[in-house]
Amino acid sequence: MGMVKQPVFAEIAPAARRAFFALAVFAVCLLFIFPVLWLILTSLRPVSGVYYVHRGLEFTLGNFAEVLRDERIVHAFVNSGLIATLATVLSLMVTVSSGYMLSRFRGPIARTWFGTIYVFRCVPYISWVLPLYFVTQSWGIYDTYLGLLLPHIAVHICFFSWLMKGFFDGIDPSMEYAALIDGCTRWGAFLRVALPSAIPAISALAVLCWLFTWNEFLFALILTGQKTPVITVVMAQFVSEMGLQWNLMSATAVMALLPAFVLTLFGQKYVIRGLKI
Amino acid sequence: MKVLGQSRRRFGEQERFMLLLITPAALLMALFQVLPIAIGANASFRDWALNNPKKTWVGLSHYIDVITDPAFLQVVLPNTFLFMAVSVAGALAIGLCLALVLNRGFRGQKLVQTMLLLPLMVAPVIAAIMMRWMFNDQFGIVNVVLEAIGIEGQPWMAQRWSAFGVILLTDIWLWTPWFMLLLLAGLQSLPKEPFEAAAIDGTTSWRVFRYLTLPMLRPVIVVCVVIRSIDAFRTFDIVWTLTGGGPARSTELFSLYAYVHAFLNLDFGKGSAAAIVGAVIILVVGLLLYRLMDRVMKV
Repeated sequence: MGMVKQPVFAEIAPAARRAFFALAVFAVCLLFIFPVLWLILTSLRPVSGVYYVHRGLEFTLGNFAEVLRDERIVHAFVNSGLIATLATVLSLMVTVSSGYMLSRFRGPIARTWFGTIYVFRCVPYISWVLPLYFVTQSWGIYDTYLGLLLPHIAVHICFFSWLMKGFFDGIDPSMEYAALIDGCTRWGAFLRVALPSAIPAISALAVLCWLFTWNEFLFALILTGQKTPVITVVMAQFVSEMGLQWNLMSATAVMALLPAFVLTLFGQKYVIRGLKI
Repeated sequence: MKVLGQSRRRFGEQERFMLLLITPAALLMALFQVLPIAIGANASFRDWALNNPKKTWVGLSHYIDVITDPAFLQVVLPNTFLFMAVSVAGALAIGLCLALVLNRGFRGQKLVQTMLLLPLMVAPVIAAIMMRWMFNDQFGIVNVVLEAIGIEGQPWMAQRWSAFGVILLTDIWLWTPWFMLLLLAGLQSLPKEPFEAAAIDGTTSWRVFRYLTLPMLRPVIVVCVVIRSIDAFRTFDIVWTLTGGGPARSTELFSLYAYVHAFLNLDFGKGSAAAIVGAVIILVVGLLLYRLMDRVMKV
């Protein structure tokens, strides 16, 4: 390239530059989706194909069928879905009011609450999930839905109150003020005036919350046992116990990724809005 | 924002409303965050092991154990801070580049953006499983490709630094889209005029980036870095699934150290002490970062 004379270079430059740009973008995209593509490819190969994956062109859906025959895995999928859904509904109910409070009021109470939330957001999960094991056991809710659900809601409080505050900050409070003057109660102003205008933001958060709970690992690892397995924990055990069956492993992982794919395709707008704070 | 707070006459009523709004959240936090932390703090001063039902008070000895443990000082802490620095810096740098490219706008940009956002939806555990499979020493695609071009394959997960590198790679892969998304939003909300003026003056694109884009984007960058650093400090799932802290506990991060002591060595007192030492460290770091954030936002 260095040998090319200047005028020629100037002529080919725009086209070459555009080609180079397109190629670079393509390469980066490929790099980003390659691990997922490779996982999908592995999940579609028969056992013999996995270990000699770089030869042969056999493909099969047998891995999925075999994984779905495993009761524990099906159970884990059901549990994960159930817990993610319930946790989403409940934590949104809790954080919407807390975020509204942070956005609309000033003064010592609001300041204290904000400070508390910031501090607890910084506390590493491990510091409260270790003793939580004993807490849930002594309350008899260890390895039950409740014992995983309630801590999951608590995890989201700090971050989501923060996000909710941001959403409500973007909504003009003058409508609520007008409602108050017209004789509406504070609850009425919150529930009937502010809440409906926050619905788009809340649905964004709902998508995120569902994903976070579905993807969560540490809490599930410590707070669940034999009775309420969830999919992330089952997969992690899979790696250490059956580390050699990569085709089955991949099939499970692909199925666990499905909700994420669906959300990426259809809910991208909401997820993006939720993540932009 | 002040409007709702102006009714001075019904002072008590407003405060009651404020408290009611946060009651459910505060209650849940008290039961499932504050209480466990208190129990953990209590346990960290006791000999809370299976073979000692009396849970004898041992004072600060667990803390002394932890902060004089060579594994903690020479492996876990350096690992944790190295992980935090490299993973945040890496994801920030790549995310910023991608955001700048996407901000220019080109054909197919929406599709590219969708593809780049994919890792954001992937569970860390699944990401770790994917990487583990790709870097498998016998059948992994990485080694196969390397051998095909004549480079000897490596037992990636069996050596400390290559295993650590795979952990970093996984984390950067997972979090780059997050940086990209937030920085892109920041870029799109910047005022247009300074850039037009710079274009008229014929400023080089590097100087535009260095003296216009970067300073104006600084608040967004700082917020991203603060949030992400605090989260990176407590990373557990990808390390647990990729290496389990191995080989020979050389890739352990702080969360794993606490977990291993509490649940594998069944020494709950020492595990709790380690968790609290970590919490104190990150609180200090978090407060410093918060100060920094405050100062940068004001500038």
